[in-house]
Amino acid sequence: MEAEKEERLWFKFTGYLTLALSYIKFNLKSQWEYRGAFLSQMVAMAANNCVWVAFWALFFTRFPVLRGWGVEDVITLWAVAATGFGLAHSVCGNALALPWIIARGQLDVWMLYPRALLSHVLLGSMSATSCGDTVFGFFVYLAFVRPDLPHLLLFVVLSISVAFLFVGFSILTGSLTFFLGNAEGLAEQWRFSMITFSTYPATLFEGVVKIILYTLIPAAFVSYLPIVALKEMSMYYTALTLAGSFAVLAIGSAVFYLGLRRYESGNLLEMRG
Amino acid sequence: MFNSSWTKYLWIAWTSAKSNTAYLGEVGSRVIFLGVILYIFLRLWQVTYSETGASELGGLSLAQMLWYLAVTESIILSGPRVSQTVDQDVRTGQLAVHLIKPLSYPLYCLGNCLGERSVRFVLNLSVGLLMVTCFVGPIHITLQSVLFLLLALPLAFILDFLANFLIGLGAFWLEDTTGLMLIYSRITMVLGGMLIPIELFPDYMQPYLKALPFASIVYGPARMFVAPDPAQMTGLLANQLMGILVFSIFVYAVYRVAAGRIFANGG
Repeated sequence: MEAEKEERLWFKFTGYLTLALSYIKFNLKSQWEYRGAFLSQMVAMAANNCVWVAFWALFFTRFPVLRGWGVEDVITLWAVAATGFGLAHSVCGNALALPWIIARGQLDVWMLYPRALLSHVLLGSMSATSCGDTVFGFFVYLAFVRPDLPHLLLFVVLSISVAFLFVGFSILTGSLTFFLGNAEGLAEQWRFSMITFSTYPATLFEGVVKIILYTLIPAAFVSYLPIVALKEMSMYYTALTLAGSFAVLAIGSAVFYLGLRRYESGNLLEMRG
Repeated sequence: MFNSSWTKYLWIAWTSAKSNTAYLGEVGSRVIFLGVILYIFLRLWQVTYSETGASELGGLSLAQMLWYLAVTESIILSGPRVSQTVDQDVRTGQLAVHLIKPLSYPLYCLGNCLGERSVRFVLNLSVGLLMVTCFVGPIHITLQSVLFLLLALPLAFILDFLANFLIGLGAFWLEDTTGLMLIYSRITMVLGGMLIPIELFPDYMQPYLKALPFASIVYGPARMFVAPDPAQMTGLLANQLMGILVFSIFVYAVYRVAAGRIFANGG
């Protein structure tokens, strides 16, 4: 009985994995049709991130240590944040557009597909700029931090964890639209705050703000715990990072399906090829 | 192209400003982000001042630094999406509709941009200065500071508009201009001194950075507001006017070539 249950779970898991891979392949093909735009957006985002890293390099030239953090720690922070954010929205490109999709009644088209609604909606598109983030994150980590194999493997695990966190957070903020009407502006501001806090050393913040960074704006799971985990090769901090990410993803999904009960279908006709 | 009466463009600017005041809620929602970023800067610089033990960095006290950053952030966050608008006008063919009106398209966009940006800037600056006053208290502001800011800002906005407009015109040749826009905006933020005053850059870079147009858009006006200096102000105005002249020539030349590539169909 137990073995049968396990087998069914495994079958479900591989099924969703195959679905994700098929969407990635399909989205990549679709982006490649406009390869000029795709490549230029990727390069531009990578260049954008380079500018921020240049700022920190300049900052640390003048002030070498900031609350125990050096330039390498900040580069690691940027690498983890960019790779995580990039992976999240390269694979789940619709996560950022969720408020807009819900407000315009465009969930209808996704409801016709088999399997869970959220998986199809999220996987339905790919963000070209996020691919640039992913490439940048890996490149910067390999080129400037020059990790050994264990560090590199942990970096990959932590980046995937951060990607889950960003997807969960986008689902959570996007689902506000079910409850508040058009919450695009609010979701955007909340997301910007999350991204901004995620790209500054969390050691700068104290007191109430520190609590906020573990709850309302869970940036500490991007800008603090993974960096300490990598610095100390700590399984404890890795476990905390993973727990935080899956908690945010679980809360985001729960709020989405709770909100879905309030969803009213639109009369918009739409076709997907 | 630029020989039309100026009053109609002033009216366009005025109408754009008025229409933006009608959506103060939407404009106001953006100040949440301003609050977040100013708080982060407050912590960053509080820690930096305390760890270095310095009372002044780059000639600015902590309070002056925060006031400086409030002005630079307000300048950056008030920027309308000029290049995207021009890009869309080119791609959708809307530009052809503009051409049949008795208006110069670049000056129409300039009027629109200045009107929108003025409202956004005033709102951002008011909220930003209120926040930094709560964080670090007031600083000594003289009539000279305000006058210098009022003199330098319009020129900074025009210079920024010209650069944005030029990028938008790239739509005539490029598949996508958002990448170019992204790079331009980030370079303006870092090399323009939005995050860190130019005095804190390595010494060998400072003269070059101050001569670049990015500093004339962001660093110059903000620095003149918190620490006015008539000699530096003269240099800033000269740089801004030179930048406007050079960019205007570029815009004129590129627009002329681009206008020749417009094909309009339909009726």
